Amino acid sequence: MEFYQSLLTLFGFRILLGLSAYVVILTGQISMAQAGFYAAGAYAAGAASAMWGWPLLPSILLGGLVGGVLGFLVGFPALRVRGLFLVIATLAFTEIVRMAFLNLKYTIRVGERTIGPAGAEGFRGITYYYQHGWAPWHILLFTWAFVLAALLAFWAIDRSRAGAVLRAVGEDELAAASVGINLTGAKVAAMTAGGLVAGLAGGLYAHYATYVSQEDFGALLAAFAIAYPLVGGTGSVLGPVAGVLFFSLLIDGLRFLGDWRNLLFGALIILMMNLRPHGIVDVGLVRRAARLLRAPRRPAHAGP
Amino acid sequence: MTDLALDIVQQILNGFLFGSSYALVGIGFTMIFGVMDKLNLAFGVTALGGAYVALGVFHLSRGPFVLVFLTAVVASGLIGLVVEVTCFRWMPRDYPLAPLMATMGMLFFIDEVVSHATHGRPMAFPAPMGTAMLEVGPWLLRGDLGFMFLVALAVMGLLWLLVYRTRLGLATRAVSQQPVAAQLCGIALRRVNASVFVLTGMIGGVAGALIGSAVGNLSPLLSLPLTVKGLVTAVLGGLGSIPGAIVGGLLLGVVEYQALYFFGIGYRDMITYLMLFAFLVFRPGGLLGQRAGG
Repeated sequence: MEFYQSLLTLFGFRILLGLSAYVVILTGQISMAQAGFYAAGAYAAGAASAMWGWPLLPSILLGGLVGGVLGFLVGFPALRVRGLFLVIATLAFTEIVRMAFLNLKYTIRVGERTIGPAGAEGFRGITYYYQHGWAPWHILLFTWAFVLAALLAFWAIDRSRAGAVLRAVGEDELAAASVGINLTGAKVAAMTAGGLVAGLAGGLYAHYATYVSQEDFGALLAAFAIAYPLVGGTGSVLGPVAGVLFFSLLIDGLRFLGDWRNLLFGALIILMMNLRPHGIVDVGLVRRAARLLRAPRRPAHAGP
Repeated sequence: MTDLALDIVQQILNGFLFGSSYALVGIGFTMIFGVMDKLNLAFGVTALGGAYVALGVFHLSRGPFVLVFLTAVVASGLIGLVVEVTCFRWMPRDYPLAPLMATMGMLFFIDEVVSHATHGRPMAFPAPMGTAMLEVGPWLLRGDLGFMFLVALAVMGLLWLLVYRTRLGLATRAVSQQPVAAQLCGIALRRVNASVFVLTGMIGGVAGALIGSAVGNLSPLLSLPLTVKGLVTAVLGGLGSIPGAIVGGLLLGVVEYQALYFFGIGYRDMITYLMLFAFLVFRPGGLLGQRAGG
């Protein structure tokens, strides 16, 4: 049972990370910076609860805040670069964050132990859950509260004017600008929201793992963050969830293959992109599903 | 001259010579982008894969370095073709994200094949120059870096001839400027794309073999740094510009060696990435790029 609880908790982090990349992708940008926001959130939230003695919720929220502020700050310079240049610029950002934590040494004595980020040795002792006697299912519920809130928020945004604005910017910038949409505002807002969610996810992850290290937050994590929505599809919030399920079932389901599953993993991504280049839950599928759901409510045809 | 100035010039020389390998990797990224408007994240690993095949041939045959080198070139060219067929050929033309994701899958795939074949251990790569050194005034030129520079120069010369003096080069330039118009003129788009992938793959093979022989060994851990360095080079020069990639590679080499000298290995890559970030913000088109911000 505990195995499944921790699996579900891990799904939660991955979904949050996927959602943070998804909201940026809506504006037509691909950001590899999500791993950097995630790392900053993890370190900030960890420091708040383990080193400064903050309660849990403010610590996690601080992680989100740090991620959001970084997203806002990266959003502005990133506006000057578009398309595939942004992929590279944000990849550089993630690597800069990783190296900053590789060189960061900031430890304090708490009782018997020394805790805090210690450069390459990582950040040990983020033990809030353990100290307060949380059971795995408490952690699961706490994590999923954030996941459901984020899913609901993005689902609501998708159905509001704001969502239409984001998608319009993603579809055609020129057309969006010519109907008076503020491109800067839309892109920076998406980046900030993405940073916020990634920061929250990082904070939750740090407390779950009790130990974080800059090694966990490299280009590979950034690649996964965009892989969830791209493979899952950007048609709706269900896309990133589908992507997380696809990858998680591969990662955890193919465990019996041992070392060979990573090989299959790469091959399956290539195959998936050839079969469904726009993702599992693409815009077409969402429209067809919506039509199907709406169909019975239509009034019957009233003769000629 | 003071010792500091001597050292700085020495590091500039080393960086300049080593930068020629970055230039080759950058050319690979930039050419594919120029022709297809898409990123091939698997290019760095194509170069590494070819070098590994060459290493396998070397261990089986103990043959001369020329054989090892040619194997790397041919193998990388073939891997390049495989990447084109699996990650680009059947994808929607106006949606660059699908091939981006697929080449990322290919990066994992080749990386894993290499890790499996070598059990993840670094392996010694033959060095044709050994530890030869050339004294130039008060400075030392490493033989392997000098060799790398000369070979890279030769490859760039051949590439120039190919792009500006052959029909394939003409077709490639036409496709990179106006793919639809090029097709209307009877240029087979697929054949040009495939040729570009084979050609850039071969250039990657040269780069992989040169880096292997200069570093002294190959490790699966090289693939990600090689990818990032290649991307940085291509962006510094301006994505799509071959001369830009050459300038960008040399610049990156020089900056890296200076950063290594002044700040140490912990900060070297950070300086590189900060430079890239600054470039993208203040000069998004790169040094010699045509289109600002792509």
